[in-house]
Amino acid sequence: MTIPTSRPASQSELIWRRFRKHTVAMVCLLILITIYVGSMLAPWIAPYHRDVISLGNAYTTPFHTAADGSYHFFGTDHLGRDLFTRLIYAARVSLTTALTVVTISTMIGVIIGLVAGYFGGWIDNLVTRLIEFISTFPTFTLLLIASAIVIQNSEAIPIPAFFSAITGAVMAISPREANQVILIITIFIMLGWTGVARFVRGMVLSIREQQYVESSRALGASHFYNMFIHVLPNAMPPIIISYTLGLSGTLVAESGLSFLGFGIQDPTPSWGNMLAFANSYMFSYPWMPLVPALPILVCSLAINYIGDGLRDALDPRVQTEIRRAQRVAQLAAIRERSNPQS
Amino acid sequence: MLKQHLLRRAAGLFVIAMVVPLIAACGSQAAQQPIKETVVVKETSAPVKETVVVEKEVVTDASFTTPHPILGDVKVRQAIAYCTNRPELIKSVYPFLTEEQQKGLLMDTFLPKNHWAAASAGVTVYDFNPEKGIALLKEAGWEEGANVTTGAPLFLKFTTTSAAFRQTWATVLEQQLSDNCGITISRTHAPASWWFGDTTGLARRDYELGAFAWVGSADPGGISLYACNQIPLPSNNWEGQNGMGWCNETASKAVIAANNTLDRAERIKQYAIVQQEFSKDMVSLPLFNRVEAAAANKKLMNFKPNPTETYTYNIEEWELPGKDTAVLGFTQEPASLYTLVESAAVATTAAGLLSAKMVTSLDYDYQAVGFTKLPKLGDGATNADVDVKAGDMVWNTSGEAVALAADVEVTDAAGVTAKWDGSSPLKLKQLTVSFEMKPGMKWQDGSPVTKADYELGQKTTCDKESGATSFTFCESVQTFTQESDTKQTLVFLPGVQWPTFYTGGFGAAPSKQPIESDGPYKGKTLADVPAKDWPTLPEVAEKPWSNGPYKITGWEKGQKMTFEANENYYGTAPKIKKIVIQFYADTNAAVAALLTGNVDVLGTETLGAGAEVQTVVDAAAKGKVQVVTLASPTWEHIDFNMFVK
Amino acid sequence: MATFLTRRIIQMFVVLIASALVSFGLLYIAPGGPMSGLRQGQNSGRNKISSEDILRIKERFELDLYIPYRFSRWLIGFPAGPITIAGHALLGNTVVGCAIPGQARLRYPDGHTEIIEDGCQQEVTIADLSSRRTSHGILFGDFGLSQVILRDRPIATLIASRLPYTLQLMGVSSLLALLIGVPLGVYSAVRQYSRFDYTMTTISFIGSSIPTFVIGIICILIFAIAAKEAGLPFLPPGNAVANSDYVMPFIGDVVAESSLDRFLHFVMPCGVLVFVNIAGYSRFIRSGMLEVLRLDYVRTARAKGLQERTVVLKHALRNAMLPFITIMAGVLAELFGGAAITESIFNWPGLGRLLVDSIGRNDYSVAMALTMVSIFLLLIGYLITDILYSILDPRIRLS
Repeated sequence: MTIPTSRPASQSELIWRRFRKHTVAMVCLLILITIYVGSMLAPWIAPYHRDVISLGNAYTTPFHTAADGSYHFFGTDHLGRDLFTRLIYAARVSLTTALTVVTISTMIGVIIGLVAGYFGGWIDNLVTRLIEFISTFPTFTLLLIASAIVIQNSEAIPIPAFFSAITGAVMAISPREANQVILIITIFIMLGWTGVARFVRGMVLSIREQQYVESSRALGASHFYNMFIHVLPNAMPPIIISYTLGLSGTLVAESGLSFLGFGIQDPTPSWGNMLAFANSYMFSYPWMPLVPALPILVCSLAINYIGDGLRDALDPRVQTEIRRAQRVAQLAAIRERSNPQS
Repeated sequence: MLKQHLLRRAAGLFVIAMVVPLIAACGSQAAQQPIKETVVVKETSAPVKETVVVEKEVVTDASFTTPHPILGDVKVRQAIAYCTNRPELIKSVYPFLTEEQQKGLLMDTFLPKNHWAAASAGVTVYDFNPEKGIALLKEAGWEEGANVTTGAPLFLKFTTTSAAFRQTWATVLEQQLSDNCGITISRTHAPASWWFGDTTGLARRDYELGAFAWVGSADPGGISLYACNQIPLPSNNWEGQNGMGWCNETASKAVIAANNTLDRAERIKQYAIVQQEFSKDMVSLPLFNRVEAAAANKKLMNFKPNPTETYTYNIEEWELPGKDTAVLGFTQEPASLYTLVESAAVATTAAGLLSAKMVTSLDYDYQAVGFTKLPKLGDGATNADVDVKAGDMVWNTSGEAVALAADVEVTDAAGVTAKWDGSSPLKLKQLTVSFEMKPGMKWQDGSPVTKADYELGQKTTCDKESGATSFTFCESVQTFTQESDTKQTLVFLPGVQWPTFYTGGFGAAPSKQPIESDGPYKGKTLADVPAKDWPTLPEVAEKPWSNGPYKITGWEKGQKMTFEANENYYGTAPKIKKIVIQFYADTNAAVAALLTGNVDVLGTETLGAGAEVQTVVDAAAKGKVQVVTLASPTWEHIDFNMFVK
Repeated sequence: MATFLTRRIIQMFVVLIASALVSFGLLYIAPGGPMSGLRQGQNSGRNKISSEDILRIKERFELDLYIPYRFSRWLIGFPAGPITIAGHALLGNTVVGCAIPGQARLRYPDGHTEIIEDGCQQEVTIADLSSRRTSHGILFGDFGLSQVILRDRPIATLIASRLPYTLQLMGVSSLLALLIGVPLGVYSAVRQYSRFDYTMTTISFIGSSIPTFVIGIICILIFAIAAKEAGLPFLPPGNAVANSDYVMPFIGDVVAESSLDRFLHFVMPCGVLVFVNIAGYSRFIRSGMLEVLRLDYVRTARAKGLQERTVVLKHALRNAMLPFITIMAGVLAELFGGAAITESIFNWPGLGRLLVDSIGRNDYSVAMALTMVSIFLLLIGYLITDILYSILDPRIRLS
């Protein structure tokens, strides 16, 4: 049983060292962390209360004082609520939503893809059909039904109070609002894992043919060991990249959904619904849509650069052999489903 | 080998285990079970329950009989009214109006203040007064947001649609109630398809506080909203619109009486009673008349929208110097030009260009246009007493045609509403109305509108297969006679007392219109087509013959409809030669088109009551467009559901 | 190959039916429909809607049938009435739906009550179906009738009216994005870390970081409104054609519905879609190229003294393009599905907007028809990429 196990650790160290050299990506990571941590400190740093309205102050232009003399950094909305405050709170909702969705759906996708690719055969066939099946689901309809169910009987959905409480605490929203957010997150996850699963499966299909995996099997290593120690780490780099892309994609997608009328609902601020709402004021107050558009742009841009930095850090110069395996896997990846064994 | 096999199977099961809940979560409803009342043995939240099969009637009769623990008390409802600062709600949605205009929108009863039937005295007015509200709550046993004895929180669910302007005022309301009186409301902004759905939301009384709007009109109506027998219940298959569950005998009698007489003085008296009781019991808090706006190119002349009439009613008088085309913007495409099956505002506006107007309904009243005059009692209409006997078709007080028998409730000739005993002599009022049309009306090909056209119109309108939603008017007519090309006489069933009988009878359909589209009727005329195929026929749904100011020349689905002036129109020739109705994805896009000059007119149904109104008002202030703001007959209110399910 | 194809097509058919069933089921439980809003006005007076009227409307739109029967009538037009064998009408009494559902009240432990539909007061049998209009079934090409958007008129006309516009917008924009995105990606990869590469990276990141509707609105504000006010040539803010002739500075009169007019209307929606798509395409090609360029055979090619140009275009790009086929699988469905947001912003009469409209206005028969076609095209796309892949990459065998 002499299987080299030190490689994953040293590899990640190497990656981190290389990533640190990527200045832009490092700056972006710092910005992102600052925004997220800042949003968690919202109750302490937000200048006003999230929902308190004062009609006299409505439509204050950014960097101006409102009618009653209060100063609003990013201006106020149609009800005189401070936009800066709402943006900070919205960051909790938007970023947490994106993080949760992408983390969980990537995890599900990786596990299912790993299992399907590693074992092949009928399992693989079933999984690929299932992925096809789920990718045909109508997203709008699902969201519409979900929101209707929440309204009709919010107790009907078996969301454990534990989850609502945690979500509520993290996002600083009431448990009922939390239930709604959880539902949207769930739907995003349900529809989101298929992409990752499909492509991990393709990677695994070719990695498992590598010599070292086969020799490890021959030495009597268990399937579990093989899957998670040999196969998975080698599939990691593209997973990380797809993870970062997924993050920025979800941020942008949420605002698109709000624009079309399916998304997180108004009392709970999210960057997406703030943007969609500000949209109807664009002729009278052209600055209004820009306020929520800015953080979406900044965060999404930052995430993209981080992904780029990671991609470069995972550069294959060192381990050409592994990279070649990955390359072959990618060729066989996203849309491929022939099984060389059957 | 075996181990690998087992592992594979385990992995397969694992995948299935991951996936099955996903599929299960998004699909099947639980299997239907027998009718039951579920009674719980132990006080646990887990479903430890005992199923007792009981009679259906027993189960449903128990619904909506328990007063709501909070809203069942009139003092709480009054307190909510006192704690609501309605002028502030108005200000939140219509900041661009002057104080005076804002004040004019405030409603105290279910009729706007300038309505002919609005009560002049005796109405309880709930001005903003939190002290009074708090005092009333205290009397009802609620202090500082909790019940004095049980400690239960003063918490109510508030349901309405997700329309942006409702979100705005509801946000303000939530804060007012909690700051002023410690009442916590939890808002739900539901999709309109759920809130106004046939078996969901409002229709099933699925709310505690429910906000929505009714569209007012010249005739106040009100039976289905306020009569005792109009409370929707499982046992009556949810008939009626009195979702509050308000049963006040005085008010109920008065509203029925008001709708079963033609005497306006009597109606005013009866409606006053309803309004007094309505405000006293505070079953529904009227908020304000909505403001609607119509905007147009500032060069457009004679653009005079009216709150109770489509803004295109005088389109033949419109003038747009320098242009021969006027573009109207719609945010919704008409589903059909066959108004019998499609009554959305956009469809009636578009179809209105194609038909000769018989009456207009300006300023909460009616005016003759295509009729020589509006018939009045003694002048074109009679309301005679007739004897009826068992078995005769009569009109009952719920507004249905029924064979007279014992226990049928009718309003007799003397104005007394009662159930008939089955034997005593009974006299009912019978209404006969004659309409005279102006001579010279022609279809777009120049052929006159004839007797046969009216007869075809009546025949299709009253054909049950026609796809129409309501046949109430058809059923209320005993005999229909088209005496000549320009005279129509209707004799109604005994008991029918339509307050607005003078607004018209049956319209004409172009019986000679040739059918050119492929299908079984090609080469025939419209008169040969059975009513059930009218809605699907392009000649009816897309290019109907016009006898109005314009005729339709094209309809590019998803884009626009084009109309040209009808040279055979009997009235004044329209000054604008061409009308285009352009469809927009949303109000914002339509407003953008107005501001860039791509659209000349946006009507009330397009501008609505949202943020876009403010945009056009601002633009009008800068002299870019002309805008007319109207206190629309649509009024917002909050209904209190006084019972629990 | 033949067995593979047969097996794949059978599996595809099963997935198609299963997906259709799920979508149909979802719409079945979704709120709204042709009935919603019927009683939004006062239900009294001359237009009172009686319960009998409600039943008739339900019947007209098949809302009173249970989902398996509704689905099968929609899918294959069956059952359309009792089955007649040798003069005997069979199964006429089979219950297929419920016109008036029963009601039951549930009381929960915490004292709150719920009213549910339970049982049936008035049933619908197969015999009742024979008097109804029945579609031939969507599998046989009958999309049925629209319920709301184009009431009672065929959905096929509705789709046909939008399809050319969607194909035009999606086709041209995808093609342009490819033609621009691929060279940019290749160039970025060849000149990794050059100024050009950094600029391209930033631009493409911005393209994928701003929501499409924001880009659209900004474009309208700049190119339509501001340009027009400044007296410069401007682009029309929306629609596919103008309603009347207009004057364009420096260009002159533009005749409504001329090809110039159509082109001007097309520029902005197409441009936005191209911008958004270029970002994705060029990033994809760039990373693919970066990997391929380091592989042995490229090095060998270089070592052989081949021109860099030949190495990049002939050896590397060909290989880098291979995975690209995979992301093209969805293109077929996308071409048909349109771009809902862009179409809404620019008021483009496409199918994407129609789908959002049909769900927003509860026209579920239209939504279902569109979904069905999309599912079909998506599955076909998967199949085609599989086959293409096996042709282009000999390492993969179809079995």
